[in-house]
Amino acid sequence: MKKILISTIALSTLLFTVSCKTDFDTDVSNIVVTNGNANFTKFVSVGNSLTSGYRDGALYSSGQMQSFPSMMAQQMKLAGGGNFTQPLMPNDVGGFTSLFAASGGKDFYGKLTLKVVNGSLAPTPSAPAADLDIIGGAGKSFNNMGVPGAKSFHLGAAGYGNPAGLSLGLANPYFVRFASSPTASVIGDAVSQAPTFFSLWIGNNDVLSYATSGGSGVDQTGNTNPATYGGNDITDPGVVASVISGYVNALTAGGAKGVIANVPNVTSIPYFTRVPYNPLSPALLGANISALNTSLYGPLKQALTAFGAGDRLNLLSATSSNPLLILDTDLPNLSAQLTAAFTPTLGAATAAAFGQIYGRARQATAEDLILLTASSQIGATVPGVPANINVNGISYPMANQYVLTKKETAKVLTATAAYNASIKAIATAKGLAYVDANAKLKELSSFSGLQFDGVKYTATFVTGGTFSLDGVHLTGRGYALIANEFLKMINETYKSTLPMVNVNSYSGVTFP
Amino acid sequence: MKKIVVTAALLSGVLSYAGGFRVSLQGVKQLAMAHTSAHAEDASIAFFNPAGISFIPNKLSVAAGGFGIKSEITYQNPSTLQSFHTDNPIGTPIYAAVAYKVLDNVSLGFSFTTPFGSTVEWPNDWAGREIVQKIELKAFFFQPIVSFKLAPWVSVGGSFIYARGTVDQTKAVTNLGGTLNILDDKASGTGFGIGFYFQPDKNWDVSIAYRSPVDMKANNGVATFNIAPSLYPALNLDANGQDKFKAVLPLVDEYTIGVTYKVTPKWLVSGDFNYSGWDRYDNLTLDFEKAPAGNQPTDPTISVTPKNFRSTQTFRFGSQYMVKENIAARIGYYHDESPYADSDFAPDSPSFNANVITGGLGFKYKGVGIDLAGAYNFQQPRTVNNTYYNFTGQAKAKAYYFGLGLSYNAF
Repeated sequence: MKKILISTIALSTLLFTVSCKTDFDTDVSNIVVTNGNANFTKFVSVGNSLTSGYRDGALYSSGQMQSFPSMMAQQMKLAGGGNFTQPLMPNDVGGFTSLFAASGGKDFYGKLTLKVVNGSLAPTPSAPAADLDIIGGAGKSFNNMGVPGAKSFHLGAAGYGNPAGLSLGLANPYFVRFASSPTASVIGDAVSQAPTFFSLWIGNNDVLSYATSGGSGVDQTGNTNPATYGGNDITDPGVVASVISGYVNALTAGGAKGVIANVPNVTSIPYFTRVPYNPLSPALLGANISALNTSLYGPLKQALTAFGAGDRLNLLSATSSNPLLILDTDLPNLSAQLTAAFTPTLGAATAAAFGQIYGRARQATAEDLILLTASSQIGATVPGVPANINVNGISYPMANQYVLTKKETAKVLTATAAYNASIKAIATAKGLAYVDANAKLKELSSFSGLQFDGVKYTATFVTGGTFSLDGVHLTGRGYALIANEFLKMINETYKSTLPMVNVNSYSGVTFP
Repeated sequence: MKKIVVTAALLSGVLSYAGGFRVSLQGVKQLAMAHTSAHAEDASIAFFNPAGISFIPNKLSVAAGGFGIKSEITYQNPSTLQSFHTDNPIGTPIYAAVAYKVLDNVSLGFSFTTPFGSTVEWPNDWAGREIVQKIELKAFFFQPIVSFKLAPWVSVGGSFIYARGTVDQTKAVTNLGGTLNILDDKASGTGFGIGFYFQPDKNWDVSIAYRSPVDMKANNGVATFNIAPSLYPALNLDANGQDKFKAVLPLVDEYTIGVTYKVTPKWLVSGDFNYSGWDRYDNLTLDFEKAPAGNQPTDPTISVTPKNFRSTQTFRFGSQYMVKENIAARIGYYHDESPYADSDFAPDSPSFNANVITGGLGFKYKGVGIDLAGAYNFQQPRTVNNTYYNFTGQAKAKAYYFGLGLSYNAF
């Protein structure tokens, strides 16, 4: 019996030690991260606000610490990467005092934070925390060369960091901060660091400033001289292609490898999707519906129909939500006709004002994008307009700056597609890793969004978790999703094994 | 002999829970023999098979015991190279039973057990925090039992189950910048057990039992959102950030067939087969009273999480050898299945296919029995590829059980 017991125990012990594997094949602490055929020793990141870590309408230090290139650099350190220096802002609020004052309080404010305003949460700008600080100069270099506001052709512009150029609009304060000299260009400062690896993500602002201004600029497609462009114009796709190609040539001249990303469509960004085209619910309009129909929408519809433009608006519905009244500068101007039509009933003076106001007015459609800035203006009183027709978006057409119309959106998307085709071609020709940021943000802006470890992310403003309070730039988590796309494509192209970042461990929107 | 017994006891550290949140620790003597069921020596048979109490040799029998479970789960993500492990408190399942022969062929009994439960504590900042940070499930079963001896060799028995329990879970709500706790310590449900027990001759024991599912209804749950108060209005929460919720957690049914054979008067061997109806747990629905914290397009206050559990089989083999007249040495082995696929890995009820070795000792002095048992759980590491959460990686686990049981057989 004794023997049986002994052998049973011995046998089971043996069996279980051999067959009962309880450990991982490879513990993650034993995994060696490799650089493949890339060299991450000196990583320099070139681009615009998205590269800089800009978010919440400002560049501020904790945001910069979660810029996507800094996340990438953390992972590259595991495979021979060096230190990654960023031109950190001197505070965690951002903004530039003098420039803020010079812009009349419109630009260069400190970061937006959520505040409870009239019982609901609203992004509210902070006062700028300090004046422009110069941290660059001869001998200074920064791995993160992201310059907020830079368009493609700006990166190659000498003097883009010249303090003297600020007042002339020729320089960018963010580059002024860290340029190596007043005559330096962004790309020159990047190349002079002799990067072994670079990222280049540029071209967004070449359409974005047009889009965020509600299409107030000009589509410069065909005009290859950027010196003649206004700030809100769409850059000629040929210009974008040629400057980016030039930057890539300069960056790769010393044998550096790199990654390049394309431009997301504005239709994926909450700045353009947050406010619906038809927010005027019957509940919101209340008893005013019949009054508006009788005294404004009815007569307007009648007159417009007479001039063959009856499709510009419909009577307000008491059962379903109504579209905003907007100004569409692409419409034929019917001011004179309307003035003439209303003169008998309203008198010459009022009729002239009517004609002026409604000559290019129409109701928005699902294909128009209402900008985030409109949300505080809808239903607000427009100053200097007669009392009964001064309610913005309801009785008064919302100004051009609040709406990117279907026609304007099409121009933006056409240019974006052209930029992206060139960026992809350049990546292919140079064998660079290519990030389809446009596809990623499309996925994010879909209804289902995407998930990371159980957290559902969408492009929904504030609650989606990925876009910061300015509606254009990302949160730490949003940037982390982008960092992972970059890392993934780098690994794929260069056979490296850089680990992904844990998206959820970065910061999102903070609630008060 | 003494040495061997000691070795056996050490070897058999303790056992673990493969099957969802079923904790098969309802008898110390049974655990030492792989938690096999056909042992009618004392009242601890009551949970395993209500009919078994008819075959307890004495008129009155009392049994009670408790266990300690030490477990640790490790999760690692080869994509991010991050690794996290749980810091679970020691789990303490307990049981108590009494059986009394009212008449020669009628026995009454009562069983108190904690057959379901799970306590998992992940670090607050771990990768799966949106799924769970901390969970405590507890269920207490109260079972009055009656059993009839139909013939000297067969009995039939039944029990009514009243279950009472607690669910207490905390998870991150990352996009709201906080956590959500759901708590109901007054969940309850009912069920029944039925069984047949056979002793065709002095060498054989055969136990056939069925325990019904028990749906634990949490009707007065409180959901507490630990988030910025400015978000309370949007989530329809009260001034404390709270809402009510309802949920039903299924404690699944189990079929058991067990056989014990006395090879020699001193040596017996046992085998068991369990079938657990985990397929009943296909989703977990939380119905919030007002908070739109759910995921259903038609009703945003309802959250449905797919679980997709599938029914499992367990095979158990145990043996007892009477080293001396009053000292028993026991060993066992069982194989337990995880109730879900890699694509449904749930860190709130981590489960692994497991090979478990068990062992223990029993001492008898007059009517009093003292039993010790331990088990070590060889859980197979697994791939985590939860498609619902897009949560991927690998998981492994360690678990030990130990138990101390007492029994008293009077007159």
